[in-house]
Amino acid sequence: MPDADAVLRIDGLVKHYGRVEAVRGLDLEVRTGEVVGFLGPNGAGKTTTLRCLLGLLRPTAGRITVFGLDVATDGVAARRRMAYVPGELRLPERVTGSELVASLGRLRGSLDPARRDALAERLQLDLGRRVRELSTGNRRKVALLTAFLSGADLLVLDEPTSGLDPLMQHVFLELVREARAAGATILLSSHVLSEVQRAADRVVVLKSGAVVAAGTVTELRGRARQRLEIWFAGPAPAAELLDLPQLGQPVVDGSHVTATLTGPIQPLLGVLARHQVATLLVEEPDLEEAFLDLYGSAA
Amino acid sequence: MARLHTLLGDPLAAMRRAVVWWSIGLAGLVAATVGFWPAFQGTSGISQAIDQLPAGVVAAFGLQDFGTPAGYLRGNLYEFFIPLLLVAAGAALVSGQTAGEESNGRLELVLAQPVSRRAVYLSRVVAALGAFAVIVAAVTLVQLAIDAVVGLRIGTDVLLATIVLSALLGWLFASVAFLVATIRPSPGLVVSLAVGLAVASYVVAVLFPMSDVLAPWRHLSPWDWAFGGDPLEQPTEPWRYMALVAPSLASTVVGWYAVAKRDVAAP
Repeated sequence: MPDADAVLRIDGLVKHYGRVEAVRGLDLEVRTGEVVGFLGPNGAGKTTTLRCLLGLLRPTAGRITVFGLDVATDGVAARRRMAYVPGELRLPERVTGSELVASLGRLRGSLDPARRDALAERLQLDLGRRVRELSTGNRRKVALLTAFLSGADLLVLDEPTSGLDPLMQHVFLELVREARAAGATILLSSHVLSEVQRAADRVVVLKSGAVVAAGTVTELRGRARQRLEIWFAGPAPAAELLDLPQLGQPVVDGSHVTATLTGPIQPLLGVLARHQVATLLVEEPDLEEAFLDLYGSAA
Repeated sequence: MARLHTLLGDPLAAMRRAVVWWSIGLAGLVAATVGFWPAFQGTSGISQAIDQLPAGVVAAFGLQDFGTPAGYLRGNLYEFFIPLLLVAAGAALVSGQTAGEESNGRLELVLAQPVSRRAVYLSRVVAALGAFAVIVAAVTLVQLAIDAVVGLRIGTDVLLATIVLSALLGWLFASVAFLVATIRPSPGLVVSLAVGLAVASYVVAVLFPMSDVLAPWRHLSPWDWAFGGDPLEQPTEPWRYMALVAPSLASTVVGWYAVAKRDVAAP
């Protein structure tokens, strides 16, 4: 059932490069004001999907609408409401940052000099320098500045913090939160899981051109294996523990047991309640573990 | 208006250096060649040597009347070198602003803005045409100035007609470069195909007339359309200009259409 509140809808997106299937029937909905993290390893189809969304690539099949506008037929109107930071960023070398920002601003039809200067100050960016004199990180800041300056309703950010130092990554997260508070929707493709964990409301995980998992960060964490360590007062009830389908990789050594737990913890607690437990340690998985688990299970 | 500033002004600014160097190179070639005219006109050795060649070879390579101002300019500049260099300049400018910028990823941010891909490409070919016109203007001004200085007596009308035909021929192949760039944005392929086609069609215009069987096919060559009427000696028929302009326009229109029908190259 389509979500009437969806800013972005991707239905059955397929993209082939010759015989290579880069995206295989991808469906995605992003609702107003959401920050959606787009995760996946190299070659998962993240950038291909984003470039289809911007009209840079022509889908082999499927349909993409942004604010109800079909990007295949109303690309200009759709891009008027989007701003994009490419993952593989190449900028004209001879112009200054200020000239580049002004040039892109003219294509959008407006530019707020006060807002531009405020963003440059927060990003610690000298817009008077030529692009060729800027480091990779500073070039990235120029692209980020143009995106956040645009006032677009949908920000499409592909590896936005690549090359930024930790301080600037923090500033970036602040800008994301502010844009979201101002009503923007953000699609954030990143390899930096901690960044997605901190910024995203929802995560979509791609592998080999298809969605292998989607949900909130908490939900994805819940699906990941948790590491367990149990010390019993006496010998460990090995047979009972090994019968539990939720336990994986169990190692029983006298009264000490290590294992992984997937799914509900209740059956394990039932076993533990019948024995004397000295110590129970359950480590909560972070997004990275969840991510690796998803990739392992989808392999 | 602001959008035009970016769409036309940015590529024009990016081509400034290339325009300066192409202008210096071509105008320098014209100045150096015409500058030798006073020393050449008093010698008869070269003219006599050319007279010994078969008539077909002399005509094919534009060496007839080499001792006259028109023959001197034709044989040294306008039979081959200036048109071919204008082909190279036009193709390089067009390729740089389209296939070159796209293949290295520098169009990615521009094409992600609320502007159509066709508008971006069309504005870039128009900007390249403007830059090309500056180079042609530099060649024209230097040609007229150096003629006056060294006393090369040739009509301004035939000289301007020859330069315009050279420019139109050059731009025809630059338009081919544009068409290739809109289909396959590979700078090497774009320039080599445009220049290669120009050289191949030059061969058709020059060598085919030496064979009775092939001679009629020389009229397929744009070089024949441009210079078949000997513009340095004879008034140029209007159809020759149109014959050069029409395929340029057709290439541009087809390219304009084609560019939206493919993927933008990934950097």
